[in-house]
Amino acid sequence: MNKIIEYDSITKSYNGKVILEDFSLDIMEGDFLCIVGTSGSGKTTLMKMINGLIVPEKGNIFIGGRNIKDENLISLRRKIGYAIQGNSLFPHMTVFENISYVPKLEGKKEEELSEIVNETMKLVGLPDDIKEKYPSQLSGGQQQRVGIARAYANNPKILLMDEPFGAVDSITRFHLQEDLRSIHEKTKCTIIFITHDIYEAFKMGIHILVMNNGKIEQYGRKEEVFKYPKTDFVKNLIAMAKLS
Amino acid sequence: MIQKILNEFSVNFHFYMKLLAEHIGIIAVSISIAVVVGLWIGILISKKPKLANYIISVVNIVYTIPSIALLGFLISLTGIGNTTAIIALTIYGLLPIVRSTYVGITTIDPSIIEASQAMGSKELQILYKIKLPLAFPVIFSSIRNMVIMTVALAGIASFVGAGGLGVAIYRGITTNNEMLILVGSIIIALLALVLDGILGIFEKLVLSHKLKKIGYKRFTAVIVAVIVGLTTILVTQKSSKDTIEIASKPTSESYILAEIAGELIMNETDLDVNITHGIGGGTANIHPAIEKGEFDIYPEYTGTSWQIVLKKDENYTNDKFETLNKAYEESYGLTWRGLLGFNNTYSLGIRKELADQYNIETFSDLAQFANQFTFGAEYDFFEREDGYKALMDAYKLNFKKVRDMDNGLKYQALFDGKLDVMTVFTTDGQLSDSRIKILRDDKEFYPKYIAGFVIRKDIIKKYPELEEVFKKLENSISEMDMAEMNYRVEIGKESPRDVAISFLKDKGLWRDKDE
Repeated sequence: MNKIIEYDSITKSYNGKVILEDFSLDIMEGDFLCIVGTSGSGKTTLMKMINGLIVPEKGNIFIGGRNIKDENLISLRRKIGYAIQGNSLFPHMTVFENISYVPKLEGKKEEELSEIVNETMKLVGLPDDIKEKYPSQLSGGQQQRVGIARAYANNPKILLMDEPFGAVDSITRFHLQEDLRSIHEKTKCTIIFITHDIYEAFKMGIHILVMNNGKIEQYGRKEEVFKYPKTDFVKNLIAMAKLS
Repeated sequence: MIQKILNEFSVNFHFYMKLLAEHIGIIAVSISIAVVVGLWIGILISKKPKLANYIISVVNIVYTIPSIALLGFLISLTGIGNTTAIIALTIYGLLPIVRSTYVGITTIDPSIIEASQAMGSKELQILYKIKLPLAFPVIFSSIRNMVIMTVALAGIASFVGAGGLGVAIYRGITTNNEMLILVGSIIIALLALVLDGILGIFEKLVLSHKLKKIGYKRFTAVIVAVIVGLTTILVTQKSSKDTIEIASKPTSESYILAEIAGELIMNETDLDVNITHGIGGGTANIHPAIEKGEFDIYPEYTGTSWQIVLKKDENYTNDKFETLNKAYEESYGLTWRGLLGFNNTYSLGIRKELADQYNIETFSDLAQFANQFTFGAEYDFFEREDGYKALMDAYKLNFKKVRDMDNGLKYQALFDGKLDVMTVFTTDGQLSDSRIKILRDDKEFYPKYIAGFVIRKDIIKKYPELEEVFKKLENSISEMDMAEMNYRVEIGKESPRDVAISFLKDKGLWRDKDE
């Protein structure tokens, strides 16, 4: 497998407080990487560096072997799907307009857009008849699916997800998790998935990255992390996962 | 009452429609500029919170300036007319738009903006596709309020000689004609209601997403077309070349004199006339405007010019006319024509029966019997330097009793016997009443305010036929004539124009044209 994302000696601080220091990590193409960690552990910062929403003070980030400092951020971002917790759908746009947002920015024609929307909606398991509805008219689960569909619509190589199922009930979450896994299998897109729920991480991920205070506690295949937790922090997490 | 209002409206339908069109033109331009500039500033500062605090405090301060003060101040910069009104209205309109744009944009859930950024939208795309549509409800409700405010505020704009329905209101106030005030105000109120209704429908269409189906581009095109249309009407309105621009001060008398000059010019020559009535501030604002050429002619009083324009301390007397006119011709390119013959100055009036009984003709005659009479004047007469005390000293007057009294109630008080002697203006409309007699200022205590016309020299050179017109008006109006005409306008509620025409006919100056 090829490396798709490389963090090379990243340092980042906020208001003098160092969040990440000399951080390096490689992410493989086609991976489903779950990042777990306490809040403030730097996991969201890591994710937002991939599409340049946050810029590191030191170090470089490579995507597909190319330093993102040299890339056009606008076109880079259009190739990276983005779905976050809660309702970041555009409330003034219909489901159709939300999903077709990026392809439309890319200048696709009306017919192509329709085709893309139909396919993506089928992929994430959304019924056809909600296309003209507005986000506020949808259930929580549907909203999350539209969020995923929107992230997928431009055929991204990488999909960034920050606790995408954080705000839905457990039954809906269960279905969403199942479906996201099968979507991943179908599309082979690289997914970076942040969660604070260790159980969700083990259910979804291929690799697991455990973060604490800006440091890597453990990074490896989930079976390996599960069987051989390296630190007390990871052991505690796994104990919690077994309980749930 | 309602019958009277409807009647006034239908009789002067064209007058009100013209004012309404001007009103809409002025507010359309002001509102468009305020919205465009306000949005722009609001968007700009939404990214710079420090600058935002500063800018918003500045607009807040501007907003607290009373409109009359702002208009008065602007006159000195941009002169008289629609431009000044539009600038003032735009300044007032800016604040709500700047603030609501700022608030509307900065209160959007930041995760939504971040999402659009993360999806690869450019700055402008974020603005048009995300920020503005989401801030729309906040911005638009402030636009609605601003439109109502501007419609109402534009009513004050005629204070600086702008058009619009304020002309009717202002004219009503200065000529004591409440029908004009009422109808003008009602149309303004209706205009505000109708516009608010239209904006309400628009808001509903947008918020229920129905407008999307009509298409924003098509809709914007229609709006822009309407505004451009109205603006061109407004701009082209006064471009006809052979039009003489006449101004008047905010008094009935000045209105009538301006109409007399205007009607006679149109009757005698091929020239067209446009009258801007009731310029707020009178001489102080009309003089600079006529110097700049914004007006060609206006009715003025010699004593007023002597004091306000030439800034002389001593009283104006008739022998100083040559000095006055020479100063006008040499310093301002203006000249005096058509001295009408009457003197509008302070004087004293006495109840007719008393004048007959004691045989009183002059101020000096009055001094002998003053200790038996009650004297009345308006409040400020007792405050003025050339007021009560100076007059008493000059004629050694010593009244039995002195009362201060509102100007509007003075005449009734005199007729009722509560006052015996009072201050008057020599052309007050109510002086045409036979129950009062004017006394002669035999020591010339008060300056002479002889009415005439100030005219730009250029305009006389260009249209020499005007000489003839103003020659006809010389010495044509006596104090009693003027008082009667003022009476007809202020008490009889006739329009200044009708009174002017009937005066010209009575004097045999009116030629019936066979058309």
